[in-house]
Amino acid sequence: MNSRKDRNLVKFKKMNRRTSWPWLNLSASLLLIGLIVLFPILYTAYISFTNMNVYHWFDYTFIGFANYMRALFVFNSGFLKALLLTILWTILNMVFQLVIAFILASLLNTPGLKLRKVYKTLLMFPWAMPGYVSILLWKNGMFNSQFGLLNQWLERLGMDPVRWLANDVIAFVSCMVVNLWLALPFMIMIMDGALQSVDKSYYESAMLDGAGWFTRSIRLTIPAIRPIIAPAVIITAFTTFKQFDVIYLLTQQEGAKTGANIHTVITYAHENAFVANNYGYSSAISIIIFLLLIAFTLLSNARRREET
Amino acid sequence: MKKNWSFRKTRRFAGLSLLNIFFILICFLTMIPILYAFSVSLNAQNSILGSDFSFIPREVTAGNYRAVINEQPVLLWFKNTVVLAAASVAIVLLIAVPGAYALSRFRFKGRMAVFKSLVLLHSFPAILSMFAIYKLLSPMGLINTKPGLIIVYIGTMSLFGLLNLKGYFDSVPVEIEDAAAIDGANGLQVVTRILLPLARPAVIVTGVMVMVYVWNEYIYAVTFMTGASNYTLAAGLYSLQATEMSGSWPVFSAASIVVSLPILIIFFLTQRHMTSGLTAGGVKG
Repeated sequence: MNSRKDRNLVKFKKMNRRTSWPWLNLSASLLLIGLIVLFPILYTAYISFTNMNVYHWFDYTFIGFANYMRALFVFNSGFLKALLLTILWTILNMVFQLVIAFILASLLNTPGLKLRKVYKTLLMFPWAMPGYVSILLWKNGMFNSQFGLLNQWLERLGMDPVRWLANDVIAFVSCMVVNLWLALPFMIMIMDGALQSVDKSYYESAMLDGAGWFTRSIRLTIPAIRPIIAPAVIITAFTTFKQFDVIYLLTQQEGAKTGANIHTVITYAHENAFVANNYGYSSAISIIIFLLLIAFTLLSNARRREET
Repeated sequence: MKKNWSFRKTRRFAGLSLLNIFFILICFLTMIPILYAFSVSLNAQNSILGSDFSFIPREVTAGNYRAVINEQPVLLWFKNTVVLAAASVAIVLLIAVPGAYALSRFRFKGRMAVFKSLVLLHSFPAILSMFAIYKLLSPMGLINTKPGLIIVYIGTMSLFGLLNLKGYFDSVPVEIEDAAAIDGANGLQVVTRILLPLARPAVIVTGVMVMVYVWNEYIYAVTFMTGASNYTLAAGLYSLQATEMSGSWPVFSAASIVVSLPILIIFFLTQRHMTSGLTAGGVKG
């Protein structure tokens, strides 16, 4: 009996150790990823060294690092400005998200709050809605300068209407509000889950010491939830850096530009490819973005390994 | 002593009431864009430009919804979207589950190299691949076809699926599978009878994320598909707001609500799995 069981396990393990077997399991996904993810990156890298644009659609030639030079060393090319704005965008969004989500999640976990589940469900709505629909609803329903809700309210208060998406600074803030609206539910849920996993007895001694909510948060809660929320925070930082839809749909849809000229690196690359048709230059930008993202990934992985 | 107790109780009650008022306000504020669109979509008076507009419509009508269904090819777009989403979910799960199983359970040469490359590849923003993918699919005659769009979607999402499922499979103890193997289960049985039931949250969330991705993807759909009859709901809605319907915001709101409903339902049905099923792999759609 026992020997048969042993034989079963050996057979199973042997199957799993055959070198062709894992590759066979992986083959379909790797083939598709090769076509749709890897090939475009390689092709983009190749085009980034050429002058392919609307005038040189087929007869493009190699121009070495010229596209990269233009992006990195010609300040008014716009790339460095977009990069700075993207960094500012990411930092501001992350700070607001973490602070607001932490406060809301802490309040949601107040003992005795009976409607907790109802509030949580309602707060999840912006995440549940299709993203592009929400953004278009914000654009047409809230920000529209004629019939948008915000300007209707301003009008009632006797103030002049504001063109929410026309001026760079106001448009940046508007985009940030929409991005926070879209992203907060996920962060609230992560924080809420983390707070519930913190041992309650942990607080009792602090309560007896008479520590207030703020002191308790800084000294106990935040250090306790930090390792739990870290992966989600890193993922969110990446998606915020790569955010395209909010800024594109709100301010620079083809044929419906609102006048604001805010660019993150992604919208900048997109515009250079599909509006200016400067594929060589846009490809160089894409590769720079990719290298930056790889550097961030390696850095955050190294830090996480150090901490554990 | 007793007095002190009742004082504390009153204070606690006051605090909780304040907190409830605060959350009701916050929830209302959060819901405003959606509620407003809903209200506009039901508004019988088409003159939202009038100064007598109110948040709650005075006269309710289903006319805008009727206009969405009758005057726009919404039902056709719905059918296109369902076909694309169903095919993508099925194919991604079919190929990503064995792939993730191999990455998680087999110790083969090159495993870490494959895994690390996948993580790095995942950081490349899909939107920047559009031009290259166009160049790839165009000579194959796959532009403006459903299979072409499906290939794009499953290629993008099988990378997500591999990483997400692998992360979750890693957290499932391998001993249970070994025990099943000892009792004579073969590889397929171990995966379908042991691993997949244990990894249910991740499988469900991966499927839902693929579906939501296809449902919400507009930029590839608009660029690769020409002609309104080939559009998905997202592409259709996008083209509507960009062109004719910008003048008819009530009809657009009604269309937005119709398009969002299926996603809302699926999201809230699967919400309890979201945290565990989405963060184990260190990636998010």
